Amino acid sequence: MELRWFHVVLWGGLIAGMFLLPQVVSNGTLRTLIFANYLAVFAISWDVLSGRTGYVSFGHPFLIGIGAYTTAILTKRFDVPVEVSIPLAVLFTMVAGLLVLLPALRIRGSYFALVTLAFMELLYQLVQVIRPDLTGGTRGMSGIQTLTRGAANGYYLSTALMLCIALSMWLLMKTRLGTALAAVGMNEESVRGSGLSTTRLKAFAFLTSAFIAGLGGAFYVHYLGSLAPRAMFDINFLFTIIVSALLGGTSTIVGPMIGAFFMTCLLEYLRPVLPGAERYFVYGAIALILYMYQPKGLVKLVQLTSKA
Amino acid sequence: MLQILIQGLLLSGLYALIAMGFMLIFSIGRVLNLAYGAYLMVGGYTYFWVSQSLGMPKLAGVVVAAAVGVLMGVLKYSLIVRTLRRDHVAVEIATLMLAVVAQAGIVLVFGDSSKVLLPIVPGVLNVAGASVTCNILVAMIISWAILLGLYVCVRQTHTGRAMQAVSMDAKGAAISGIDPDRINLITWGISGALGAIGGVFFASYTQLSPSMWVAPLIISIAVVIVGGIGSIIGTLVVAHIVGFLEVIVVAELAPELRGVFTMLLIICVLASRPQGLFGREELH
Amino acid sequence: MSAALEVSGLVKRFGGLVATNDLSFSLQEGESLGLIGPNGAGKTTVLSQIMGELRQDSGTIELFGQEISALSTSRRIQAGVSRTYQIPRPFGDMNVAENIRVGLMPDDIWKLIVSPPDAERERELALSVGLAESDLLRTPSELAMGDLRKLEMARTMATAPRVMLLDEVFAGLTAGEVAQISELIQSMRKDGMTFLIVSHDLPALEPLIDRAIAIERGIMIAEGAFSEVMNDKSVQASYLGSV
Repeated sequence: MELRWFHVVLWGGLIAGMFLLPQVVSNGTLRTLIFANYLAVFAISWDVLSGRTGYVSFGHPFLIGIGAYTTAILTKRFDVPVEVSIPLAVLFTMVAGLLVLLPALRIRGSYFALVTLAFMELLYQLVQVIRPDLTGGTRGMSGIQTLTRGAANGYYLSTALMLCIALSMWLLMKTRLGTALAAVGMNEESVRGSGLSTTRLKAFAFLTSAFIAGLGGAFYVHYLGSLAPRAMFDINFLFTIIVSALLGGTSTIVGPMIGAFFMTCLLEYLRPVLPGAERYFVYGAIALILYMYQPKGLVKLVQLTSKA
Repeated sequence: MLQILIQGLLLSGLYALIAMGFMLIFSIGRVLNLAYGAYLMVGGYTYFWVSQSLGMPKLAGVVVAAAVGVLMGVLKYSLIVRTLRRDHVAVEIATLMLAVVAQAGIVLVFGDSSKVLLPIVPGVLNVAGASVTCNILVAMIISWAILLGLYVCVRQTHTGRAMQAVSMDAKGAAISGIDPDRINLITWGISGALGAIGGVFFASYTQLSPSMWVAPLIISIAVVIVGGIGSIIGTLVVAHIVGFLEVIVVAELAPELRGVFTMLLIICVLASRPQGLFGREELH
Repeated sequence: MSAALEVSGLVKRFGGLVATNDLSFSLQEGESLGLIGPNGAGKTTVLSQIMGELRQDSGTIELFGQEISALSTSRRIQAGVSRTYQIPRPFGDMNVAENIRVGLMPDDIWKLIVSPPDAERERELALSVGLAESDLLRTPSELAMGDLRKLEMARTMATAPRVMLLDEVFAGLTAGEVAQISELIQSMRKDGMTFLIVSHDLPALEPLIDRAIAIERGIMIAEGAFSEVMNDKSVQASYLGSV
């Protein structure tokens, strides 16, 4: 898509609006939006890997969790300052990303998705038993240092983080590299047949995805101040990430963003009608129907309606 | 030692029963039904509702559960799988969504807290110093009976051979006058029933809870992937590997680590030998 | 001077089936060689082994004197050999220009990020294979079979090969499209391109090649000028036998 002047104006207005929001809305709404921001970061991370290259990851919480746990343990148990622990967490997550890459060199499709699911469950179980003095075992950790005080500041930080990641990914995916990654998703053999090393391209996608997941996970845990294995390595969490990316529209940057905000707001608006976990029933049903009807997501739906 | 052997055999029988329905779908349609765990959950809850809330006979509970399982399988095939057939990953994502919906539905109807199922067959036997709960023993016997029946069916009956044919080559089967759609529908129905019955026993082995579907799904995946797609014997053997691993780990290491080796098994086998240990692509 | 492509003693087995049986041939630079044989003779398997999509069990493959058997497919392409497929494999959700863009990409992540695509070169390649200016923004699903083959040629040419392997270039084409593709190959031959062409369409193949080899069940049964090969008793027998 060509970048026109009104796109710039529109985005400028939207971003300005996002930063002015704390002046008008309640703290409760802000907390919801903070979650939406982090969810958008996770969904973008998922999409860089799975949406583009077609290696569908069912274990993204694995990567996010490694980032979150690394920085939580470093700051709480070893008094490492966050300026050091967050970069270390990102680095660790990228190493874990390479670990997930190994099976991707041999298998794809369903099998790969299953391996990632197994990675997630494996970490879930290991975290609870190996060195519970460090990880906090089944109960997790609390009292983790927070970066900001108050909902407004947390909101500014998460919005800035999300927009930075979205913008840099948008710029990156506009380059030929973005085209090459999408080509891997369409036909890996033909990419090899065009003289490109798919291993290198895949490694790049895995590392980038892990980078974003680690960064998002680390900031998220420093916002929450606590961490529980059941909430982190949860199929519902995974479901929310994947559905955000899918509903918004894969292989785009705005897609996962829109999806994340749509999903979060949907959950929030259902709260008065359906308190408790039943919301997932309506939420899941809407997601399922939308997915069956338009697998390419809301972005595609908007494009189609505006064309018609 | 004897305790481990007996417990291992019992648990493995249960796992084989659970994994069988998952394996059937995978070998016929190459579809990973991630909502398979939901059959078990819904089966378990249906049994609970019929036999414990309504107070009807236990057998009626099992039959109704199986019927609900068949219905779920058939509906899922006709509404989701047939629509998304061209794209396996899309089916997986859709079935994962469905599983989350089913979990929320269970919470909606039965509430969040877990429920304890009364054993289907009460009592404890004492075998050479090792105690064996009759319930699991019956589960194992039924599991073996179903497996044997399935093995014979696939090999001997017309429908079973048609299933084999579809699993080898759906197009070729269609040319030979088999309606792959009908065979798929039957298979999804059988798979649903197996899942639901497995769920009744699984629930009475552990307990009923809205998140109970994850563990058996992972076990099914492990057994089917490691055993090799479509191999009934492979499924049986690997169910025993997984079952014994778990029993040994719980007895000798730590109960919390019970699933770790199952995960490692999935990762290692898939990364090194994607076709599984008993790898054949078609039902046999 | 070493040959452009030198294949010697190539053997490939699939279980009990010998797909390529001690096959040796060579191509001089600028030469065009036809590879013919009945269905299932192992022609495509030979191309796949040259490209490294299949690994041979024994034998060597040299490209301009360099042994390439140990290289990955992408390295072989960088070394100067490229192929087309019997069934074209375009990137379905990309337009023609983007498809060609992938062929033009350097195998270097950093360069892919910093240097922009060369739209002019993409256009040139598309036009040179006979695609229209208006096709550049079309997706593969909107193209006819002939245009898909042209796109495949353009993407293959974009990798700047010195040797091109063409697999059943005429399959599924109309007479007009066959003429267009033939013309394209002829003009590339004039420019000095080296070709190995697999085709069933023998009348269309004949004017495009200097020499032919015939294989059956992975064994070379004849080699020489096209007319000699076609008059060979065993070649005729193999074609009759396959009907």
